[in-house]
Amino acid sequence: MYPEIDPVYDSDDTDVEETNTIGNIPLEFYDECPHIGYDINGKKIMRPAKGAALDALLDSIEVPRGWTGMTDRNTGGDLMLTQEELEMVRRIQMGEVPVDGYDPYAPMVEYFTSKTEVMPLSAAPEPKRRFIPSKHEAKRVMKIVKAIREGRIVPNKPKQEEPQFYDIWADDAPPRPDHIMNIPAPKLPPPTHDESYNPPEEYLPTEVEKKAWEELDPEDRDKDYLPRKHSALRLVPGYDGFVKERFERCLDLYLAPRVRRNKLNIDPESLLPKLPSPQELKPFPTTTATVYRGHEGKVRTISIDSSGVWLATGGDDGTVRIWEILTGREVWKVKLGEDESVNTVKWRPGREAGILAAAAGDDVYLIIPPIFDHETEAASKELLSVGWGYAEVVKGDPLKKEPPAKWSKPSDKLADAGVAAIVTVRVLVKHIAWHRRGDYFATVSPEGQNRAVAIHQLSKHQSQSPFRKSKGIIQRVEFHPFRPVLFVATQRYIRTYDLAKQELAKTLQPGSRWISSFDVHSGGDNLIVGSYDKRLLWHDLDLSTKPYRTLRYHQKAIRSVKYHQGGLPLFCSASDDGTVQVFHGKVFGDLMENALIVPLKVLRGHAVKQALGVLDVEWHPKECWLFSAGADGTARLWN
Amino acid sequence: MTSTENTPMDGTDTQSTHQVQVKFTTRHPDIAVPTAPILVPANLKRYGLSQIINHLLDTSTAIPFEFLVNGSFLRTSIERYLSDNGLSSESVLTLEYVRAIIPPKFQAAFQHDDWVSSVSVERESKRILSGSYDGIVRVWNESAQCLYTGVGHTDVVKTAKWMSATKSVSAGMDRGLRIWEVDGESIGEENSEIFALAELVGHRGTVEKISVDSSSGRVLSAGMDSLVGFWTTNISEASKTPKEAPVPRAKRRKETSTGPPRYGPLRMLEGHTSPVSAVVFDPKDSTVGYSISWDHTIRTWDLATYSLVDTRTTQHPLLSVCVLPKLSLLACGSAARHITLHDPRVSASTVTTSTLRGHTNAVVALSPNKSSEWQMVSASHDGTLRIWDVRATESGSIWTIKREGEGLSGKEKVFDVEWSSLGIVSGGEDKRVQIDDSPKGE
Repeated sequence: MYPEIDPVYDSDDTDVEETNTIGNIPLEFYDECPHIGYDINGKKIMRPAKGAALDALLDSIEVPRGWTGMTDRNTGGDLMLTQEELEMVRRIQMGEVPVDGYDPYAPMVEYFTSKTEVMPLSAAPEPKRRFIPSKHEAKRVMKIVKAIREGRIVPNKPKQEEPQFYDIWADDAPPRPDHIMNIPAPKLPPPTHDESYNPPEEYLPTEVEKKAWEELDPEDRDKDYLPRKHSALRLVPGYDGFVKERFERCLDLYLAPRVRRNKLNIDPESLLPKLPSPQELKPFPTTTATVYRGHEGKVRTISIDSSGVWLATGGDDGTVRIWEILTGREVWKVKLGEDESVNTVKWRPGREAGILAAAAGDDVYLIIPPIFDHETEAASKELLSVGWGYAEVVKGDPLKKEPPAKWSKPSDKLADAGVAAIVTVRVLVKHIAWHRRGDYFATVSPEGQNRAVAIHQLSKHQSQSPFRKSKGIIQRVEFHPFRPVLFVATQRYIRTYDLAKQELAKTLQPGSRWISSFDVHSGGDNLIVGSYDKRLLWHDLDLSTKPYRTLRYHQKAIRSVKYHQGGLPLFCSASDDGTVQVFHGKVFGDLMENALIVPLKVLRGHAVKQALGVLDVEWHPKECWLFSAGADGTARLWN
Repeated sequence: MTSTENTPMDGTDTQSTHQVQVKFTTRHPDIAVPTAPILVPANLKRYGLSQIINHLLDTSTAIPFEFLVNGSFLRTSIERYLSDNGLSSESVLTLEYVRAIIPPKFQAAFQHDDWVSSVSVERESKRILSGSYDGIVRVWNESAQCLYTGVGHTDVVKTAKWMSATKSVSAGMDRGLRIWEVDGESIGEENSEIFALAELVGHRGTVEKISVDSSSGRVLSAGMDSLVGFWTTNISEASKTPKEAPVPRAKRRKETSTGPPRYGPLRMLEGHTSPVSAVVFDPKDSTVGYSISWDHTIRTWDLATYSLVDTRTTQHPLLSVCVLPKLSLLACGSAARHITLHDPRVSASTVTTSTLRGHTNAVVALSPNKSSEWQMVSASHDGTLRIWDVRATESGSIWTIKREGEGLSGKEKVFDVEWSSLGIVSGGEDKRVQIDDSPKGE
């Protein structure tokens, strides 16, 4: 605070004292100089003396009034405070009004009155609207109430937290109200790595690829751009194809027809037929129990004797082998031909004798394997030897035409091995079928034309061919399980012949191109047919000449099909895809109900060799055991 | 420790896991503990429970125990078991404990020339009789010395059994049973050849299995011709064959000229409709025999009157049988890869009491543990032996024994097994008789 200036003469004290003229700059600037500024005349103002000497001097000097010990920033000298200033400092410290004589409680001048006048300027009465509820307010309140009722306003709604991040692709097209004719435009796929301005190195095209891309017609390019690498986003040039691309997108959206497809609202489960679960149809074979190893080359054929103990197999190595079925032990074997494979083996039905018919090349060998007891063996020998004389008698008859086959005694070596008779058919024999009584058997030689089928009689050593002319390449023949009926399968048809009346009874048309095998159900009224065109067909003889059911589950040609002949409702098919498929096939006694067919199990295990898989199958006569012969040189038992 | 000490009645128990009331029972009186229910922490497993039992018994050395609950071994904590089976943790859980058995160990293997179809161990001399697919019956001692080789069978030997220390019977694919006599005491020179005393003929098919009764000297045989043969080995009782069987192939069958005297059966028992796969005498009553067959039946025969007493039909072809004598149960191995337990008594109401599953191929031989009435061993074509405890029917086998040896694929079929005092003796497709020591415990 400066003293009040009395404007009289010599009140100007500018020339009185040398004043620092450095202006409004901090004095620290002069800290390193001996002086602290300049006076009006440009002379240096020297820094006042400091230090220990000075202190001593000062101690001796009486402290002047108002000395504070502080330095005046402007002058560099001691800062002196006057009595009034000290008083002001004290008041501020005490929290009082700093200026002496100021009255904070001076009476207030009321410029606007706060009092309600008894006699106001206007004496108008209070308006009515002050006393009745406001209609406008009621309207507004009702609006809010309505909104609350409709749920547009939720009172005490917890504040929804705004998500911190947004999916920028989420709603690029605002959703349209759901309408049956509104089909939203298909979205563009989101950009991928190679569309990045800085793609990983592996996405960048090589020179060769770049060149190939450039040489291609723009229409043939699989993408419209080449990935390019830029070190920074701001270095990315403008995209020259932008307008064209947008235009094409618009054309796509505009021209591409969008059709609402009617979705079928059908449960796919309901379309499937109601079949019992395979679990309820046990037992059926599921796993390999035994592998019969020993054959060199493919095992072509398999047969189990009627007691269900001995398994016979024949293969490409020209041997017939007999196995113990559970242990897989080879019990006996005989080599029939040097370079001819054994195409079929079949046990003679009936337990009283043990005779095995095996076909290798043109010959059918009737074998009595030495695995049976003496009585059975003797009975078998008796059966086979009784006809020798008879054959001699017939040969003398010149009127008879030449029989289709010749019966002969085997060589000593083969006779030692167990072969009892050889029937030479003169054409390659592919299949043997025994009549149930075991006196007749039929052989099939597909290349034999009108002599393709020959029926041989064991007791008389006689052979005859029942057909005068061929009706196609004959694949298989089977006897009816109990009637005098012969089933003959050509490539396309299966004909049934009544052997008693000697006439054609029925022709079945399975509809497949090439029948590979068929089997007759033990009831005699149903047939299964396997074909090289992968189909398994079930024929009901009473129903129609067309198949009752076609099963197309195999990937390759079916080689063999078999019914279980021992009372279990099972049948199976073996195929070149290396699998055997087992089905439940129940034939009902009443004619009203059709057969129930349920696929049960695919048996995998045989390896596929030279595009051949499983070549033959056979069921055990009583149990649910299945035998299969594979091109991989093994036979297997499944249970 | 008493049962009250285990209870958290003092209120200081602060552990988080809750406790369940458990009652320990056992069928072995020597290791019995009080049957009063005690509280144990629910998170205990077999080891913890075993420690409790050991503590209760105050045993000097810890005995490992296994715990049976509802027909299966406890393999998880009690808590887990209760929650898995939806049981209340409030009710008392009854745990049956048995001595745990440690795994069997491979001991030795005797090499043969061909597949070993049959093994039998003599009770006292511990000699091993083995029948092989090369048609030779061999007698071994414990130190892998082949003492005797019995030649004479013209085909595969499928079964061989000790009758007594000096007598044995074998049979096979040549349809005849042969009786052999060896010196029970002295060890003669190794590999001495012996010949059969007598041949018993009558079967028309392979003889699959025989069963012997040492006290009466009777033999039961199972034939592939669906017949059960009943024979005596006392030659004085045996009937001479009435007529010499016709021998059409005399030059191949040398036994007709040089073979032993032939005797007929006491009776061929007819009844089965498929090959008979195994027979067994009832160990308590030698006039009762059981036979099982591929025709799914178990037939009980009265051998005094040669009559069929009972026929039980099962679900699957049966291949092997053994009697668990103290439980009066028949264990039957089937071609459908499992073992079923049957009560053969006529009064029994159910055909099958329980089923043991685990084998992956046909079960072809069974043998009970002589020292524990609940255990047995099975041999299967899947190449394993399995040890079972019939109390734990749900748990599967206790131990599995594989074939030991070089260059085996692990699929070699096992054809026969016997659980004897020597250990578990088995023979199979690997051409060896394998001996595993009997698992300890029980």
